[in-house]
Amino acid sequence: MTVQEDYQPIFIGKVQEELQAVLQRYPNKQAALLPALWIAQREQGWISDHIMAEVATVLGLTPAFVKGVVTFYTMYHQHPVGKNFVQVCTTSPCNICGAEDVLKALLQHTGAGDAGATSPDGKWTIVEVECLGACGFATPILVNDDFLENVTADKVPEIMRKYR
Amino acid sequence: MGGADGLINLTIDGAPVSVPPGTLVIEAAKQAGVLVPHYCYHPGLPVAGVCRMCLVEIEKAPKLQIACATTVTEGMVVKTQSAPAKDARQSVLEFLLINHPLDCPICDQAGECELQDFVFQEGQAKTRYGEFAKRFNPVEDFGPDVLYVPNRCILCTRCVRFMEDVAKEPVLNVSERGDRAFIGIHPEARLDHPWAGNVVDLCPVGSLLSKDFLHKARAWELDKTASICTGCSQGCNITLDTRDEVVVRVRPRPNLDINRYFICDHGRNHYKWMNRGDRIEAPLLRRDGELKAVDWDEAIDRVAGILRGAAGGKAVALVSPGASSEALAAAKQLLSAFTWTGAFQLVMGEEAPLAGVPNLALRAERAPNATGAERLGYTRDYAPALAAAKGAAVVLVLDDPDCAVETDGALIYLGTVLAESAACRRADAILPIANVAEEEGTFVNRDGREQRYYQAKPAPGMAQPAAWVLGQLVTTLGLAEVR
Amino acid sequence: MGYPHKPHPKETVVLSQHFGDADARTLKGWTKRGGYEALAQVLKMDPVAVTDIVKESGLRGRGGAGFPTGLKWSFMPKEKKKPHYLCVNADESEPGTFKDREIMRWTPHALLEGTAIAAHAIRAEVAYIYIRGEFTEPWTIMERALAEANAAGVFGSIKIHLHRGAGAYICGEETALMNSIEGKRGNPRIKPPFPAAAGLFGLPTTINNVETLTAVPHIITRGAAWYKALCLSNPKSTGTKLFSVCGHVQRPGNYEVTMGFPLKDLIYDMCGGPAAGRTLKACIPGGSSVPILTREETERTLLDYEGCVASGTMLGSGGVIVFDDSADMVYQIMRLARFYAHESCAQCTQCREGTAWTTKIMERILAGQGKPKDLDLLLDLSENMTGKTICVLSDSCAAPIVSGIKKFRGEFEAYLAGKRQPMMVA
Repeated sequence: MTVQEDYQPIFIGKVQEELQAVLQRYPNKQAALLPALWIAQREQGWISDHIMAEVATVLGLTPAFVKGVVTFYTMYHQHPVGKNFVQVCTTSPCNICGAEDVLKALLQHTGAGDAGATSPDGKWTIVEVECLGACGFATPILVNDDFLENVTADKVPEIMRKYR
Repeated sequence: MGGADGLINLTIDGAPVSVPPGTLVIEAAKQAGVLVPHYCYHPGLPVAGVCRMCLVEIEKAPKLQIACATTVTEGMVVKTQSAPAKDARQSVLEFLLINHPLDCPICDQAGECELQDFVFQEGQAKTRYGEFAKRFNPVEDFGPDVLYVPNRCILCTRCVRFMEDVAKEPVLNVSERGDRAFIGIHPEARLDHPWAGNVVDLCPVGSLLSKDFLHKARAWELDKTASICTGCSQGCNITLDTRDEVVVRVRPRPNLDINRYFICDHGRNHYKWMNRGDRIEAPLLRRDGELKAVDWDEAIDRVAGILRGAAGGKAVALVSPGASSEALAAAKQLLSAFTWTGAFQLVMGEEAPLAGVPNLALRAERAPNATGAERLGYTRDYAPALAAAKGAAVVLVLDDPDCAVETDGALIYLGTVLAESAACRRADAILPIANVAEEEGTFVNRDGREQRYYQAKPAPGMAQPAAWVLGQLVTTLGLAEVR
Repeated sequence: MGYPHKPHPKETVVLSQHFGDADARTLKGWTKRGGYEALAQVLKMDPVAVTDIVKESGLRGRGGAGFPTGLKWSFMPKEKKKPHYLCVNADESEPGTFKDREIMRWTPHALLEGTAIAAHAIRAEVAYIYIRGEFTEPWTIMERALAEANAAGVFGSIKIHLHRGAGAYICGEETALMNSIEGKRGNPRIKPPFPAAAGLFGLPTTINNVETLTAVPHIITRGAAWYKALCLSNPKSTGTKLFSVCGHVQRPGNYEVTMGFPLKDLIYDMCGGPAAGRTLKACIPGGSSVPILTREETERTLLDYEGCVASGTMLGSGGVIVFDDSADMVYQIMRLARFYAHESCAQCTQCREGTAWTTKIMERILAGQGKPKDLDLLLDLSENMTGKTICVLSDSCAAPIVSGIKKFRGEFEAYLAGKRQPMMVA
């Protein structure tokens, strides 16, 4: 990895203040890692190796340690994603209520093709995830931070219109 | 709790064992002569308990317990060979082998591989995984000397724990989750810590490999000799691995008081010079301005004669701080009839501690026997000694090929190689000696510990240990064993 | 209540009283409904006295393990020498379970109050509520409620913080949860040491589930005897429980019933059973990690810890997944195995390799390429994955496989014999 000449640090100004407030909640800096990564992802959309290095420096950790943590948790993106990142639950309780049809419909209508891929217009990335904890409201999906419930395949076009 | 002497008494595989409170079952088992198969456990690392290989049956415990994380209790009855324990271990081996490639024919670890060993001992002969593809990831270059072969990795995490808890530089991690997991490193980082090479030793399989040793030799072709590292004054215990009388690898030997289970990369790489081909292979005497090869009798005779002739004058001994204590003592004895000055020159370097181990570092003094030399009366005042040599009757140079000495007296040079130095060009007698791998001797480390090293390969030609050469001269001159 | 449905007459409404009532989320609305009275009372009490009340009530952990809560609290050191911590497990990720999210999004102050009471009882200065990353709405609601409560100084000297997870089922395991708060990979820890001795940041810690803590204020105001009397079957299982019913039922949702309630009534009376023309085939009563029940077993099971064990399963988290006769049991068991394979943390050999291997075998069977020995192989691997690892994720993967093969063997054999259309491509 080369040094990124134009790398803009994230943790400056207001964001730095935000992190300082977070640090007050924990007895050491390492415990602020997950919150810091959430802040970084909110600011940049995803977490690159350079960002991992910055977070490591800010919290007194090594880049390798941060990378080990980032790759463990599925909600941290390690590469850029579409404007709308959609997570579809297909674990058994939703699976028997048509979750795979919802997934298929989303892939089809967005043009993303395969789960995990981004649609050609860059607007949609659809991924299959495990139980979202809303099994009685099948099928739940997350569109970025919006948690939608009772989604069925026929409701997909309407959802897409809403998030255009 | 515990017996009268404070020890805990338990039974392991029917054998009674008594150990201090707090001892792990896996360590207590060693006392009963039982090696509990394991991977992730290592006495030099914090306990992880992840490989699940050391599962043993403990009476009254509802489930099998891992011996590496269970502390002994009074009256505990441990069975390592019961059917449930063996079945559990066999299943762990089966799980490890489903993705582990059949690389033995091309894998460096073969012959010293803990996976091979335990599979042979108690694994299954056939696989049930057959038709599925094994997980594949390409080989990664982690840094100066270490290659990572992810396919062979059994995720014991010894390497991660070594870098994090012993080297105190977490440069390795476990990346991803589930069966996608592998050992990762951040692209910005290299595995260039001064002690990083230990991960190769720690790796139970052929996943972390030394580039230096890659495909050099098969483990069963190696002869192993106990030795002491000459890289610095720490005195780490090492094993010299030789193949066909060539040193091909250096590995640490456990010594809980000095280097625990580790050596630094400087010491690990400090062996190639032991195989130099351009050695002095016969004693040389200068006659009519030219060096002529002679046999030892003639050489000893001649040098003894020189020394007899110069007796009573001043003598200067310029020595290597890597010479054995025996050689240094013999040199001093040899010059006991003279007013004697002995000095050595120490190459200094940057100290590199292993942060997680007390009193362990690559020391600034890059020589193994400075303390041994000092105890015998040699000093570090090299420049004055060099100056004094000008007017000395006899100058003895011991294993110091670059010595820039000038003298009006006689110059006796004991060394392994001939250099373009003042000493070699001036020497009246050049006596070939063995290097550290070719002789037995002792060093005294910086803490005053006297340690013995042994001969790993023969010395070339007619070269002899310096202690022998000097001892012969002592005998010839009739000098008593004066201390 | 079977929110979003109206409360069913057979429900015992305690925790779910205000589900669907948006006003109850505000501090004002909550205190109007009697909120924070229990906390005010507790803050004047000796911590041991509080623990004794909870012990007396018979409250047991509602996250899945069912460990007596008062007893767990009493494991904390008697002498206060170091900081103590309370962790609230809101990582709810067990398939079939969705009760904690409802508690948080409808009655956030109830959880905060229970948290503060527990913190007082175990003498914890700080409490972290670990909310899974995907619960964006509960997070926002909890954040707002916490800010309101803090502004009003409700918790005294106790500090409550929210900590957001980032997508890992295994972080619901109590020691993995602590590692996750500490900023590490969510790997479960070997025990000993136990959390009460050395937990979060190496200090004495108690971890409790959301639903467990939400019951505590009620126990304080209405008394341990009241809670203990809420018992329909075994006296060791007291109080109410929110059962999350999902899958093939007409009215899925959370239903609150007294412990010992018949599972049959829950499914048929309250949830209306499967759709018209369909019959119940199988049911997992406690979240996907417990053994599957046949219809006959389902219809005679009583919903408490002992009753489920008597039926050969476990109460677990109370996530009731109902399968009707249209469900492909083999496919669903495969999907569960795949869930565990995705979520394995990778520490233990059996889990890391076994969850993936069993998934592959299940996929092979579904692709019409199963071999005659596959069922025996699955059973053998399941046994090798049970009781041998740091945590029970490995055992949880084995449970549906073992119970599935035992009770629905015919469906597996149909695939093996080629009598069923392959559901997957090899």
